[in-house]
Amino acid sequence: MPSDNLTEKSPASFDPAVADELRPVVIPGSRRILVCVAALVLPGLGHLLLGKRGRALVIFLGIAAMFVLGFVMEGHLFTPVRKEWLTWFFSFLDTGIGLPYFVCLALDFGFKVEPAQAARITFEYGNTFLMVAGALNMLATMDAYDIAIGRKV
Amino acid sequence: MTHFLALLLYSLLVSIVFAALSSEHQTPQARLKYVVKVFGYFVLLGLAIAWVLYPLPL
Repeated sequence: MPSDNLTEKSPASFDPAVADELRPVVIPGSRRILVCVAALVLPGLGHLLLGKRGRALVIFLGIAAMFVLGFVMEGHLFTPVRKEWLTWFFSFLDTGIGLPYFVCLALDFGFKVEPAQAARITFEYGNTFLMVAGALNMLATMDAYDIAIGRKV
Repeated sequence: MTHFLALLLYSLLVSIVFAALSSEHQTPQARLKYVVKVFGYFVLLGLAIAWVLYPLPL
């Protein structure tokens, strides 16, 4: 009976579908760039292009929830302000979310801060949620790149 | 929205995304365990830091 190494070394609960999922896949260089750009533009899109549908959905829902909750908590997005270096750092993190940041920028939504808004106890939490959403999408982009070059599965 | 609810929401969402990005946990069960573990660490450390900072006149 023909068998391969994978089958021989696997436990009794061997599942071929799981084994396929765990096999690294290397994709061509031009497509790697597309995957990374897609992952930066919209959370989870890079993983979707790599065929990791479940992971793409979890990443999208997790990051989108953080982004929406950031606004619910009265947080705001940042733009760089000259001589205020922290706003550059915060803007960098905010832009990590990709397209949603630039849609908000184009619509002028979520950037202005009213005094009453800043007085809320959740104001800084909201800002943190928005920034961490961007940072998590940057991590997701790096993860998509690692999968694309075959370093991860 | 309270401080504690914000901590719980933050911990939950970040731990879910961390689990999705983890390379060491491949099966759904392993990822779920990782979510619970990271969530617990976030909440416990958050409470511990809050407890340490509470007496300070900030």
